[in-house]
Amino acid sequence: MSAQLRKILHFDLDAFFCAVEEQHNPALRGLPFAVGGRPDQRGVVASCSYAARMTGVHSAMPMSQALRLCPELVIVDSRMGNYGAVSRQVMAILHELTPLVEQLSIDEAFLDVTGRAEDPLSLARSLQNRVREELGLPASLGVATNKLVAKIATDVGKAAVRSGDYPRSIQVVPPGEEAAFLAPLPVDALWGVGPKTAERLAALNIHTIGDIAAASAAEMAERFGKNGRDLHRRAQGIDDREIVTEREAKSISQETTFVADVADGEVLRRVVAEQAGQVARRLGREKMAARTVTLKLRWPDFTTITRQMTGEQPVASGEEITRLALQLLTDNRPTHQPVRLIGVGVSGLGPAEDGMGVRQMSIWDLPTDPAQQAKADRLNDAVQALRKRFGEDAVRRGSEMG
Amino acid sequence: MKVSCFQENLAKGLSIVGRAVSSRSTLPVLGNILLEAKDNQLRLAATNLEIGVNCWIGARVDDEGAVTVPARLLAEFVNSLPAERIDLELSVRTQTLHLQCARYEANIKGIDAAEFPIIPTVDNGEGPEETAVVLEGSTIALETGGLRKMIDQVIFAAATDESRPTLTGVEVSFKGDRLAMAATDGYRLSVRSVELDQPFAEDLTVIVPARSLGELGRVIADADDEKPVQVTVTQARNQILFRVWGKGTETRGAFHQVDVVSQLIDARYPDYRAIVPKNHTTRTVVPTDSLLKAVKVAQLFARDNANIVRLGIQPGNGDGPGTLQLAAVSTEMGDNVNQLDAMVEGDDLEITFNARYLIDVLSQISEPQVVIETTQSNRPGTIRPVGMGTEEFLHVVMPMHPPR
Repeated sequence: MSAQLRKILHFDLDAFFCAVEEQHNPALRGLPFAVGGRPDQRGVVASCSYAARMTGVHSAMPMSQALRLCPELVIVDSRMGNYGAVSRQVMAILHELTPLVEQLSIDEAFLDVTGRAEDPLSLARSLQNRVREELGLPASLGVATNKLVAKIATDVGKAAVRSGDYPRSIQVVPPGEEAAFLAPLPVDALWGVGPKTAERLAALNIHTIGDIAAASAAEMAERFGKNGRDLHRRAQGIDDREIVTEREAKSISQETTFVADVADGEVLRRVVAEQAGQVARRLGREKMAARTVTLKLRWPDFTTITRQMTGEQPVASGEEITRLALQLLTDNRPTHQPVRLIGVGVSGLGPAEDGMGVRQMSIWDLPTDPAQQAKADRLNDAVQALRKRFGEDAVRRGSEMG
Repeated sequence: MKVSCFQENLAKGLSIVGRAVSSRSTLPVLGNILLEAKDNQLRLAATNLEIGVNCWIGARVDDEGAVTVPARLLAEFVNSLPAERIDLELSVRTQTLHLQCARYEANIKGIDAAEFPIIPTVDNGEGPEETAVVLEGSTIALETGGLRKMIDQVIFAAATDESRPTLTGVEVSFKGDRLAMAATDGYRLSVRSVELDQPFAEDLTVIVPARSLGELGRVIADADDEKPVQVTVTQARNQILFRVWGKGTETRGAFHQVDVVSQLIDARYPDYRAIVPKNHTTRTVVPTDSLLKAVKVAQLFARDNANIVRLGIQPGNGDGPGTLQLAAVSTEMGDNVNQLDAMVEGDDLEITFNARYLIDVLSQISEPQVVIETTQSNRPGTIRPVGMGTEEFLHVVMPMHPPR
């Protein structure tokens, strides 16, 4: 791969929900306030103002606890629907700079500006200014040669500002200085280090990212497996991940052009099933499900048709995608019509499950034999008990292991 | 053809048959509505080859005849006219229909009625003299209001997704003195069963497209409730015909009679009885309205998050009643918890459902209280009105659950 250094920006709105609320109610400016649910209803802090953060309140904290830390905290009900619309306006501005935008969440995105001649710091400044001038929203940016370091740069830049106002920071990590920049930071600043790993690292007297980088790769791999090797690489500030734009993420397809036109329905059905399986595996790797399945057909005269079908529930498995694609084939290919190219695609992608891994069960999921059903129930009970004791990731199906 | 009728009656008739018009067909005549003047009635007809509708409205016929004209233009023109008499006259040579109403006048170019497909009807000796092919088969009369309610309580559970054609239908079965309708899209199942005044000629089970039953339901809404709906299944078991009596030719905005003829789905309906829970460990009774309202509120938050609503069922302790709590979380916008008093017997339980599925079934229950029976978070729940047994009203809904 060519050694051209990339220019990656990490863009993050400052206390996004709070900033939007302040626009609607300027009296909130400067006050410690939090957006989220009511404390008497076990609400949590969705976002809090920087004045509130000075008192130790942070997002995802139960509102009742936040009120104990900061009794004068003003609680603002989250206004429905508006944040999404504002976020789309922000993302539109980012897209004007480059099509290579990877939106991470409602208020955060990576941009690859390698193709722009300008110095990345000035690009970051102009983005920050445009979002402030056009939408009145404060934002912070991190600039580096990869996503990992750019994101950490934003966090470091924001944390350095302790004025009680929006940080509006820009932190640049020049090429070659990635490892040095990360070295003094605590290990949990690194993606992939949760409280458990941090504890185990501390037991080895490893406290900073620099300590990880200084450890030997072999030792890390031995103690932490594959994750250890990755951690060691990341601690050096190495991250090759590309920007994944929405367009790429939004559809997956697989097509085949035949050497000779195929008129045999059986062969076509087999190819469709294979393609559907490949598409399903790619969906599975991304932990995505698709709303729509598309079949592309090209006849010998090069006429091409694409037909799509949307199921009642998002589909993710090879069987489900095959079923829809075969239906499309039956509906749209006249019997004996030879085919030059055939392809299966999916679009309308979304997460295959919500954060808790919940999905709609189907009637066909039920075992019909009572003995089998009792067994499935016992298994489910055991899994639930294990998850309760050891956390959601404690038990997985063999088919979920990748 | 020369015929006159009231604008309101023609508009009503066109709205009834209009829904059967093919929106995109390779046969231009299927985008048309047939008008036939005969025996002081005007017959309107449309078909998309899956469903065909004949509607007779009162008219004064000066000259018998028939023509087909583009459905959309005719309906939009008639709907724009004042509520007065419309005179229609066909120029046979040019197949152009001349319409006049108050000071509005139009000529609409048509297609020869001979090109229009024949929509079968039945001969019961009461209708106007039959002009189309007459179906032979077994017939039964069903009470109009009850039939409509039954359709409404079942069809929403049918699949709209064409990938499982069988499930886009409703299984309709006559067995002894009972009529049952069942629909499932694989995620929920709705079954209604009623006793018949007299048994059908023979036990039989057919699959009727849910779309056809939906059209029938809409027609019944304007029917004369005193006169039962006649149902005929052809001997070949490939078509079903529903004859609905309207409020007569004298009432403004009414029809005389409508036939809805539908193809049947030639398939075996999946055996849903196997998935009906045989027992339960938690039984929750709540007021229907309060539950529906609480689910609708939760859905405001759930709609961004796969419609996930978590139900927390807690039996009462001592004197206090039990509770049913509904919780929904939108990662983007906030969260919501609603609590209802409930009569809970059995174990406490947390179970997650799709809010839309709960709303769909609760909206169709007019009884004041519902009972929810559940066992485990990964097992189906059942919902029905208090006072009705599962043999009469059965609704099974699959929960949402972590991957197995």
